[in-house]
Amino acid sequence: MDQIIDIATDGRHLSRDRGFLKVSENSAEVGRTPLDQIAGVIVHAHGTTWTTSLLTELADRGVPVVLCTANHAPKSVLMPLDGHHGQGARMRAQWQAKTPFIKQAWKQVVTAKVLMQAAALDSIGEPDAPLKMMIRKITSGDTTNIEAQAARHYWPRMMGPDFRRDTGAGEENALLNYGYTVLRAATARAVVAAGLHPTIGLFHSNRSNAFALADDLMEPFRPLVDCAVRNIVVTRGAEVDTAAKQALARLIATDLPLGEGVTPVSVAVMKLATSLGQSFEEGRLALALPNTPGPLTLAGLGA
Amino acid sequence: MNHEIKVLSGYRLMWILVMFDLPTDTKPQRKAAGKFRNFLLDEGFERSQFSVYARFVNGKEAFQTRVNRISRHLPDSGDVQILNFTDRQYRDIVHFSDQGRRKARKNPEQLVMF
Repeated sequence: MDQIIDIATDGRHLSRDRGFLKVSENSAEVGRTPLDQIAGVIVHAHGTTWTTSLLTELADRGVPVVLCTANHAPKSVLMPLDGHHGQGARMRAQWQAKTPFIKQAWKQVVTAKVLMQAAALDSIGEPDAPLKMMIRKITSGDTTNIEAQAARHYWPRMMGPDFRRDTGAGEENALLNYGYTVLRAATARAVVAAGLHPTIGLFHSNRSNAFALADDLMEPFRPLVDCAVRNIVVTRGAEVDTAAKQALARLIATDLPLGEGVTPVSVAVMKLATSLGQSFEEGRLALALPNTPGPLTLAGLGA
Repeated sequence: MNHEIKVLSGYRLMWILVMFDLPTDTKPQRKAAGKFRNFLLDEGFERSQFSVYARFVNGKEAFQTRVNRISRHLPDSGDVQILNFTDRQYRDIVHFSDQGRRKARKNPEQLVMF
């Protein structure tokens, strides 16, 4: 099982004890988790300390350590420099990929995202027709920016007409930040494990973002977080508490249809990153993008 | 809660239990026994009793991988037995401690908060 470790209490010390991540406070052990089981470590709390030996062990397993601001928005990610045996060749192929190839890949990612958004709207009984129409108009490289047009239609229906996405704000926005942080950690891990460089993105490359590729590849999965946040807000209110965090972290275990079977999200992002790496090397685009889950699955997220 | 069970069942959760009797008569034997114990700890096994270590695995394939790894790190002498349980069976273990019955073990959650 992939576990997300969340450090939320001030003054904790993280260290390594044999095959475990040990959490202590005033040198008394609070808890431990096997290192092999960790999918990501998310740190919000002030005054957290750690040992270098722990960080190198986490890096060895490709586990990202994410440092967050007060609003649960990620500020920094610690990732290993090498994560794959054929990394040199992969990164060279990634770096040398031709523009049309990258634009085609981005088109496929945006298509998968808008499809997922349509499924999300469908699951809450909102019309998804405009989004489905837009999909046909997505061009190579999304030059007409259908992604943004879809978002303009999507957000008011998903979160209410007054909603504005603002990473610095609280409530729904803070919940979204947290959900995306979990997703970004899982995706960043997948990108490095696939031997790709996270800074060289498909679309986000021109922004000052060290995790551009992770941000690109997590796009199709974002509506899952949106659905979960919506359900959490409706049932329990817009507060980032333990129950909400648990519900959002559970997202990485949600089963998605992919290929012939179903795959949990944490594995689906891994397959997507690997398929992109292989596509770069072979020069032939074959992305393993997830299909949309049924409306019942989407409606049950965050419960 | 219902949702969680449905989600997790896809993983075919299992537990692996390693029980061993290792000779500790001579110094090299004690050293080998200690090395094996530390190997299990490095692999993420937790001690549930003296010479009984348990770990959670993701399914049949993961179980086989663990068994293979253990078989490559065995000490020269002594007995090692490896069992596997389904998650359900592991939860139903009856545990007495100091004359009292202990609560059933909690399974690991997707999110661990500290």
